[in-house]
Amino acid sequence: MIMDVETLVANLPLLWAGALKTLELMIYTLAGGFLIALPVAFARNSRAAGQRAFAHAFIFVFRGAPLLVIIYLLYYGLPQIPGIKETPVWLLIERPMPVAVFALSLNSAGFLAEIIAGALRNVPAGEVEAARAFGLGRLQVLWRIVAPNAARLGIRAYGNEVVFVLKGTAVVNFISITDLIGATNQIYFNTFDRITPLLAAGVIYLVVVFVILTVIRRIERRLTPWVYARIEPAMRAREARA
Amino acid sequence: MDWSLFAIGATGWGDELLRGFGLTVLLGLTAAATGTALGLLAALCELARFRAAAWLVAGGNLVLRSLPELLVIFLMYYGAAFALQALLSPLGVDGLIEVSAFWAAVIALALIHAAYASQVFRGALTSIPAGQVEAAHSLGMTRSKTFLRIKLPIAVRLALPGLANLLLTTLKNTPFVSAIGLQDLIRAAGDAGQNTKYYFQFYMASLVVYLVIAGGALAFQVYYEGRVFRHLRRVPA
Repeated sequence: MIMDVETLVANLPLLWAGALKTLELMIYTLAGGFLIALPVAFARNSRAAGQRAFAHAFIFVFRGAPLLVIIYLLYYGLPQIPGIKETPVWLLIERPMPVAVFALSLNSAGFLAEIIAGALRNVPAGEVEAARAFGLGRLQVLWRIVAPNAARLGIRAYGNEVVFVLKGTAVVNFISITDLIGATNQIYFNTFDRITPLLAAGVIYLVVVFVILTVIRRIERRLTPWVYARIEPAMRAREARA
Repeated sequence: MDWSLFAIGATGWGDELLRGFGLTVLLGLTAAATGTALGLLAALCELARFRAAAWLVAGGNLVLRSLPELLVIFLMYYGAAFALQALLSPLGVDGLIEVSAFWAAVIALALIHAAYASQVFRGALTSIPAGQVEAAHSLGMTRSKTFLRIKLPIAVRLALPGLANLLLTTLKNTPFVSAIGLQDLIRAAGDAGQNTKYYFQFYMASLVVYLVIAGGALAFQVYYEGRVFRHLRRVPA
């Protein structure tokens, strides 16, 4: 048989631990990527040419570079800086986990900044002007008008980016972190069965992607209820006819 | 910086890096070309009236877009050997079968490329102006002629910027093949770093190589948008 159920059941704890590591990396990266992307997105839309140039350069570098190069540069390259081993930064970068999260976050931020900047640019100007005319302050406009509109415009692209982050976490195998794919290697060393753990890991990835897409669709629906109120009766009617 | 690190020959690492770069480019281009062709086929399947084929292909694409590249490469490399062994053992061929790592990598990357390319092609094929197709039919063109002379040229023109992006993505996916023992650019840079302890310089060099490729793709897109859609621009009065 292709799938050996006995091997699978015996090694479920290893797969579970690997899956948790993958999810942990994904969640840290989503948080880190967002924190880095937000200022870059504002710089990308800024009126100051210098800020715009910086944002363009940041996005170009981290979208154009393979993830593996960034992670290797940080993991093997940074310790080469003279004197870095005496600074507190060393406590962070001598371990693979923070380096991996930082590299993944930078990579994700390159894509995310473009998504956020695009969403911010396309917020209807009339709504912002109306809010200003009502006397809302800058921060109030940002929080009450711009943020919800931008979330609406960007949520779909963001969902795709979350899937890319999940897939990207696989690179941590190259700096000796045991994630879901690393767990399949461990099972191979224990049982000499390659295919069973790889297929099982594939199924787990598919389930996680399915959950991500479902959650994103829920959020999208929550953010744009009027769109769904209009489309859904038509969609149901079409299904009834088919 | 010490440029002699990158010298060609026994003293420097230039030739090893060049060989790695060659493999990266060869692998990337072969996978992208195969994947683009497969992607067009997949898009046609997804749009076909034969719904079973459409669902099957759409499902396969969804899986390929959801799995990490590394996992697909592993599945292709170890799975192909496993499948071949299972197929050949009834024929009396026994023993360990070794699959070429290069071709396993090409097939894995090509399938991933195809899954994304089919999205691009599907978008392009569905946004062909209906008038063009109707005009072709009214001139008496057959279905196949309409496809080859009208639909395909328009679709390719619409799809090219997206395809250029995908070529870049596939080139960026090539470093994963070092996990099945291939010597690509990043692996060569890593070997050089390990031997000289100048990791930073070598990885920086490979980063620059990738950024030059990305810059080229960007320049192509800008040039292309300006050139191919010339006829759609309004002539200033």
